[in-house]
Amino acid sequence: MNPVQTPFQAEVYQNPYLPAGGDVVDAVITVTSSGADVRALGPVSAAQVIMVDCSGSMANPPTKISSAMAATAVAIDTLRDGVEFAVIAGRAGAAMVYPYGPQLRIASERTRSEAKQAVARLTADGGTAIGSWLSLANQLFAGSRAEVKHAILLTDGRDQHETRETLLAALRSCEGRFTCDSRGIGNDWVADELRLVASTLLGTADGLEDPADLPAAFEAMTSAAMGKEISAVALRVWTPAGATIRFVKQAYPQVEDLTSRRAAAGERVGDYPTGSWGAESRDYHLSVAVPPGSLGDEMLAARVSVVGSVAGRAEVLAQALVLACWTDDEALSTQINDRVAHYTGQAELAVAIQEGLAARGAGDVDSATAKLGRAVRLAAESGHEDTAKLLARVVEVVDEATGTVRLRPHVSGVDAELTNVRSVKTVRVKKA
Amino acid sequence: MPADEVTCPECGAALAPGGSFCEACGHRLPWSETSSPGAARTAVASSLAPPSACGKCTGTEFDAGGYCVACGARRPCGADHCELDLGEVAGVSDIGSRHHHNEDGMAVAVGDGFIVAVVCDGVSSSNRPDTASHSAADAAVRVLADQLARTVHPPRPPAHTDADEVVTEPNAPDPAGAGEEPDTHPLSVSDARTTPLRPTPSVRAVTAAIGAAGDAAQAAATLAAVPAGRDTLPNPPCTTFVTAVVTDRSLTVGWVGDSRAYWLPDPGTPDPPACLTIDDTLAGQLAAAGVPVSLDLPNAGALMRWLGADAVDTRPHTATLTPSGPGRVVVCSDGLYRYLPDAEDLAAATPEGTAYEVAATMVAFALRNGGHDNVSVVVMPYPAKP
Repeated sequence: MNPVQTPFQAEVYQNPYLPAGGDVVDAVITVTSSGADVRALGPVSAAQVIMVDCSGSMANPPTKISSAMAATAVAIDTLRDGVEFAVIAGRAGAAMVYPYGPQLRIASERTRSEAKQAVARLTADGGTAIGSWLSLANQLFAGSRAEVKHAILLTDGRDQHETRETLLAALRSCEGRFTCDSRGIGNDWVADELRLVASTLLGTADGLEDPADLPAAFEAMTSAAMGKEISAVALRVWTPAGATIRFVKQAYPQVEDLTSRRAAAGERVGDYPTGSWGAESRDYHLSVAVPPGSLGDEMLAARVSVVGSVAGRAEVLAQALVLACWTDDEALSTQINDRVAHYTGQAELAVAIQEGLAARGAGDVDSATAKLGRAVRLAAESGHEDTAKLLARVVEVVDEATGTVRLRPHVSGVDAELTNVRSVKTVRVKKA
Repeated sequence: MPADEVTCPECGAALAPGGSFCEACGHRLPWSETSSPGAARTAVASSLAPPSACGKCTGTEFDAGGYCVACGARRPCGADHCELDLGEVAGVSDIGSRHHHNEDGMAVAVGDGFIVAVVCDGVSSSNRPDTASHSAADAAVRVLADQLARTVHPPRPPAHTDADEVVTEPNAPDPAGAGEEPDTHPLSVSDARTTPLRPTPSVRAVTAAIGAAGDAAQAAATLAAVPAGRDTLPNPPCTTFVTAVVTDRSLTVGWVGDSRAYWLPDPGTPDPPACLTIDDTLAGQLAAAGVPVSLDLPNAGALMRWLGADAVDTRPHTATLTPSGPGRVVVCSDGLYRYLPDAEDLAAATPEGTAYEVAATMVAFALRNGGHDNVSVVVMPYPAKP
């Protein structure tokens, strides 16, 4: 199948040359969408649900709930006419804020105005059960035929009024049905929970240090959702007989391991979900184990297609080939492609931060010091300045080149959570 | 089915004349009639024919890029074993016992008054050398067949014609002096090595053919999927090239690299067996200059010139000779002559028989001796029927 004329482009970065006996092929695939309308049918239909934490702690300090209300109003104003939307108040259970019944409303001047009036009456009183909020959002989306379904989840605390199992079960039922960006505010949100929601629902997770930043963040998330041109895009990976996929990870803009999310799409073909796309560019790291070839052999180790639904038909939007060539020329086979090396390092960096913070939380000073030291060194090597700055709030850096650090004795809880929630954010290779 | 109907060697479907591919199964035909006017009687065959089944898994489906849809292995441009037989000229090529791929290409042609043999040895240290060797051989034989058909026994020209369209009639002196084959050339490679002052039609055809082969080898570099961030494939495909052309009165060779052409006289012909080419290697050049070569000399056998995208010097060597009697010409890759470098030894080991029988016997000889490399042998008689 030849790719249809699309704004999508897929480029492969790899060193295809393997030494005799070599059997692992790594490649970075950069997928870019120019955002031009792929459907030629006018704007894509969209729906958005905003989940606002209205637990009692949102009133302490009161700027949290007032900023959340202002941010929600900004998000409502950012919805274009015709988009279906709703606002949910999250407490120990979920309640409709707008509209009054459990359904979506079509955005218009009138409904936006009604919604903002309803939001202005929000009060902070109650608990936190994120799974119940997501379940209500899921129920609302189920009644919609919109192509892009996007949710925003704002919380200021731990998901303490339901079990972990309830949250996981809610996420499982939501998976693949809408995307969700999760944001933490204040000092008591939990990075692991926000990352779990974002990761399962193909969105982003972050923490906001200042409630005053909320309106801008809500506007950015809503604008990005309004800019989506195509939904349910997947990476379709064909691998040859005898080959196994070691992993498929999104590597940029954040690390997301997609390996276990494969859905069979034919013999030797699997689809990995990537959600909705607007004008954006993402990188994927694919690693395939192949049967070792003979010197001079060349094989197709993987064919990576970007597939999406165009006018109701599944279409290949872009395609890239990952090759393996066996050579006795060591000058070729010993090179590591710089993008592959870079993202291997970025993934290690994310793991080092998460494991280091977990060890620190468990009181294992030696392990935390070693892992966070390694993270400091990897961040410095890859030029990841944002992460380096965050790490410096958690550890005192003695020498970043060797990763020599000391744990800071007094760290505000939110600094550790911010470092954790942003651990998956990556940077691209700096242009030489 | 009419006796003279031509069928596809792959699927057996009847073939329309003049095509390069089977309309039924898409198989690239290993032979086809040249299409130029006046060349109706020219038969051409080359090894450029991707095998119908995957060599790794026996799958028979390939994607647009030429990769097996089952195991991903790249489909080569030619088969592991290939035989071309046009009667007077025949070639056999085999992967040998040690190599994983057959990177030798070859091609043959028989026309009115000429016979052509081409061997190309893909350089195994380059990438996808088979793409260069098979396509170079194929491109060259088509140019040779086309040019020789128009110049060796050209159709009688119209009464009035432009000067640059004039072609020589057989056995008649050309008033302009162009296109005439001299009566005799000494059968000595060192004397004949320089291209004659006024190139014969055969030399011009050989020179043009090597140009086409060079272009084809160069183009092979762009067939490969070049990794993003690179302009070209590292170590682009490259190949050696040798051709021999016989007419009723001359034997012309042209080459770049270290594949060879040998002259083997029939009994009663006074000219001794001779290697007609000089290898483009340090050892070959020194030997031709009369300098004794030590086997310890590092890189003495390393190829100095080749065809391909990274080739710097592709000027062809050409030589035209006029043997004093009938004989045979053997064009081969080093897979054969590594066992029989000396022309006398090669002549002694070469049996009587048809061109095909001789080529098959010589390939079998190389395989019996270890088959250390791909081996390709093309055999044809001298002279061609007038």
